Amino acid sequence: MASLPVIVVHGGAGNIPRARESMSSAGVREAAKAGYVCLQAGGSAMDAVVEAVTLLENNPTFNAGRGSVLTQKGTVEMDAIVMDGRTLASGAVSAVRRIANPVQLARLVMDKTSHLCLTAEGASQFARNMGIPEVQEESLITEYSIMRWRKNLSPDANPVESHMGKMGTVGAVAVDLQGNIACATSTGGMLNKMEGRVGDTPCIGCGAYADNKLGAVSPTGHGEAIMKVTLSRLILFYMEQGKSVREAADMGLAYMWDRVQGRGGVVVVDPKGEWVARFNSLQMAWAAAQGGQLHYGMYGEEHFTRDIQEQKEPEPQSQEAHSPTRSTDTHTDTQ
Amino acid sequence: MEPTIVVHGGAWAVPDSLAEASVAGVKAAARDGFAILKIGGSALDAVELAERALEDDLAAFDAGCGAVLNTDGEVELDGKTLAAGAVSSVRNITHPVTLARAVMEKTDHIMLTDRGASQFAESIGITTVPTDALMTESERREWEHYKKYAVGVKEGHDTVGAVALDHRGNLACVTSTGGIRNKMVGRVGDTSIIVSGGYDDDQSGAVSCTGHGESIMKVTLARLILFNMELGKLARDAVDVSLAYMGERVQGGGGAIAIAPSGDWAARFTTQRMVWATAKGESLFYGLDPQDMFEEKLSK
Repeated sequence: MASLPVIVVHGGAGNIPRARESMSSAGVREAAKAGYVCLQAGGSAMDAVVEAVTLLENNPTFNAGRGSVLTQKGTVEMDAIVMDGRTLASGAVSAVRRIANPVQLARLVMDKTSHLCLTAEGASQFARNMGIPEVQEESLITEYSIMRWRKNLSPDANPVESHMGKMGTVGAVAVDLQGNIACATSTGGMLNKMEGRVGDTPCIGCGAYADNKLGAVSPTGHGEAIMKVTLSRLILFYMEQGKSVREAADMGLAYMWDRVQGRGGVVVVDPKGEWVARFNSLQMAWAAAQGGQLHYGMYGEEHFTRDIQEQKEPEPQSQEAHSPTRSTDTHTDTQ
Repeated sequence: MEPTIVVHGGAWAVPDSLAEASVAGVKAAARDGFAILKIGGSALDAVELAERALEDDLAAFDAGCGAVLNTDGEVELDGKTLAAGAVSSVRNITHPVTLARAVMEKTDHIMLTDRGASQFAESIGITTVPTDALMTESERREWEHYKKYAVGVKEGHDTVGAVALDHRGNLACVTSTGGIRNKMVGRVGDTSIIVSGGYDDDQSGAVSCTGHGESIMKVTLARLILFNMELGKLARDAVDVSLAYMGERVQGGGGAIAIAPSGDWAARFTTQRMVWATAKGESLFYGLDPQDMFEEKLSK
């Protein structure tokens, strides 16, 4: 049953190594729960998505904030965006360094400036003006990200291939009790990228879009491909033409594969609270909270549901048996 | 396929003192770009050349040499492959559009910013020029004036852009700007954001936008115009409907040029003026004020 409020969160699309699956899954579930608690208490959709993405940025499992992939030079440059569906206001930062929560800085760009995007040095200067503490770059770097960086230093490495899976951009979409819609996306970008490379994430229409009249999208996947097809805006355009959230998401992803051979995933929500988490990569860690239920999945058609109050962690998935154990399907998909 | 190129020099209240030079500038750029198309050159080359001509025009335009300290530039999207290149927040480069094209052709990425963009420029032999060469006298005086009196940001909607259709039916677009005067350091406007300042797709059309950058971004104007063209609207109607939406939804004004795969084209705006010129067939069309549609022979 579609109902409000609702929040859907993703932790990246690709080929997540088995060893990291349970951490990714736990991470997105925690973020969805936290965002939902915020919404239930009457918080805005914007508050909820920023809360959820902040948790994911702090979680070293994901390619955002702490745990971000490294640039060619071994540094961390992060992109983030928020968008408010009521006013179409937005804030973004690109190639920003040495702050713990780019999504919060993006929100400040929206709230405190007349601009939509600040980059690099300018973004850092703004952070200082806002009293946001600078953090040591080392605090954002993990063993795992160093290991992945080293593996992709050789000239014949294929970072896109390698990236497409191991580590994910994070994002969230939400509709609050007032019917306001918001989204947020955050990332460390592409593995071993050139310094100054900006991907889809901070580009409105590509890395995010929210409109109270249509819905919201937060994508993950191959950034350059997402940009070329302006994925977020494209999916909402299909919805404007009458497609369901699921049809629109699938059409957008199919187009991105056909036209520019890019893989990825999206979380999408509409004004009524209908939502989907769809992807054409092997996996995408996702979770949604709605009507007292927590929904989550990782592979293909997986869709697990449990009561949101349930404290016990789900059993870790066995290596072979990936036939989803569906509980009563309360998902809003109309297919 | 009949080659066509449309060029704009920004949608804003162009003062009379600059009007003549601005119009001359876009006409020259359109002629230059069209010359490439006539000999069978690509849409991509045509728009880049037109952009460079505009960037060179010191007196009238903001981008390139006249740029107010911080420069954004987005290059042509290639409508066949959807390849794109963009740079933001680069300083002291005479032709940001050429740098953006290099991002598209020489890297796996679409957009580079700030120091990373400058480093890349150096690595491919694009030299930076001292700030003095990039600021005209009036720019420098103006900047100093604003610095002293900390006046609020003045909207200088003087972005430049071009869209073209070549004889093969390929489309390309480019947009370049120095951005709003005295904007915050590191502010990235609509120009270098794919989908807002410009977009094109051989299957749908090509668009370059100008006007209030933040409004353009909020409604992803270029993509919106193309969605409307994909729904079957004529270029003119697609642009008008989209500009009207931007006005209603986010109270932003601006303009856009567009070409459809059929060659149908438009140059429309909701600001007081927009300098534009189109070269097609034997004719050069151009205008400044809302109802303008002047025509002269290209061979002139």
